[in-house]
Amino acid sequence: MTTSAPAARGERDGRADGAAPARPAVLTMQQAINRALAEALAEDPRTLVFGEDVGRLGGVFRVTDGLQRRFGEDRVFDTPLAESGIVGLAVGLAMNGWRPVPELQFDGFAYPAVDQIVNQVARMHYRTRGAAPMPVTLRVPSFGGIRAPEHHGESLEALFAHVPGLKVCAPSSPAEAHQLLLQSVRADDPVVYLEPKARYWERGPVPDDGPAPPVGTSRVVRPGRHATLVAWGAMVHRCLQVARLAAEDGVELEVVDLRWLKPIDADGLAASVARTRRAVVVHEAPLTAGLGAEVAALVQERAFRSLAAPVQRVTGFDVPYPAGPLEPKYLPTVDRVLLAVQRVLEF
Amino acid sequence: MAEHTFLLPDLGEGLVEASVLAWLVAPGDTVERNQPLVEVETAKSAVEIPSPHAGTVARLHAAEGATLAVGAPLVTIDAAAGPDAAAGPGIVGTVPDEEPPARRVRLRPPPE
Repeated sequence: MTTSAPAARGERDGRADGAAPARPAVLTMQQAINRALAEALAEDPRTLVFGEDVGRLGGVFRVTDGLQRRFGEDRVFDTPLAESGIVGLAVGLAMNGWRPVPELQFDGFAYPAVDQIVNQVARMHYRTRGAAPMPVTLRVPSFGGIRAPEHHGESLEALFAHVPGLKVCAPSSPAEAHQLLLQSVRADDPVVYLEPKARYWERGPVPDDGPAPPVGTSRVVRPGRHATLVAWGAMVHRCLQVARLAAEDGVELEVVDLRWLKPIDADGLAASVARTRRAVVVHEAPLTAGLGAEVAALVQERAFRSLAAPVQRVTGFDVPYPAGPLEPKYLPTVDRVLLAVQRVLEF
Repeated sequence: MAEHTFLLPDLGEGLVEASVLAWLVAPGDTVERNQPLVEVETAKSAVEIPSPHAGTVARLHAAEGATLAVGAPLVTIDAAAGPDAAAGPGIVGTVPDEEPPARRVRLRPPPE
């Protein structure tokens, strides 16, 4: 590998104008991320994918399957089991003009890399007064829901959202996974991209690459008028389950997929609460100092006069994710979310 | 006595195979649960695999030096006691089921 990155190719969108829109492919989230990585590698020769087992094996969750064969060992490669080194490598590559997309194999293994993430990736652009941008997309298979052992299920979003200089996003569906990853890779700022492991096997339509909503926008995934459920990652699916159950009782819940956890779409939250007057935020991470507190603060700052009830939080508990069969007791259940909905409806 | 065939598990994260270095038991041996059965080597390390069951070793499915894929039969044990949960190979964790969740809480709609 040479030490400086090749020049970027020109226009990235090669689709012919006027072509009939094809029916979108139905992919799992794993396949959708794989496709986005392949498209990112194809469109820009400066893009590099690396991490533990991402090359020859194709990733523990098959997310990088076939990429090394297709793009070669110089652009998709395995690293030693040393997360600080993986992210440190990304820093040096980015300073030399490359666009690294490293993977940290599991959320719990992001902790050994926190020094590089917080002290280098997040602030290099700031430290160099703009001379050394960090177009790094850090992929982290995240959150719980697969009854994994310790260190294989963690919610890092509040930790990284708190660090100046980082953007953070978490997809909730195959289509979102594809679009958010391409958007993250194309951004010149570092993005921590948190993949919900529990939704890796979900299948859904994935439209072709195209215009994406701006960084920091949320999405209403189900409209409703009685209360807003705010979630991200796998909890969007949980909130949609709750919304379907609530509909049986005549309660229409709006579900907002936050998508970007930094920056948070405060305007989108305020607009939803202006319609529903009530909000419940649902996340897997522990309650205390979780991102739910940030959402609640933004909603009361932006939409105080709309609110008919205090914002409720339904979260994990202030303990580590329990391993194995206890995990479903930790994650927000439909009943816990429904009880919070009842509290905001009856306040 | 029930026969249990133990499949080679994923010994790391996404490892696909392992080779048998040395068997520590032979057919006919009595083994305790968690007693080391075999030493295998993966791309990451050499490890001893403990017996998931107490019982009698019925058959070994691989010779020393052989390379096995994850999920291939490793050893069959005549279990002494009731069946343990079958340990399947796979990724770290399990694929979540997509059953609709059971509910107990019913909502009262707000007055219009």
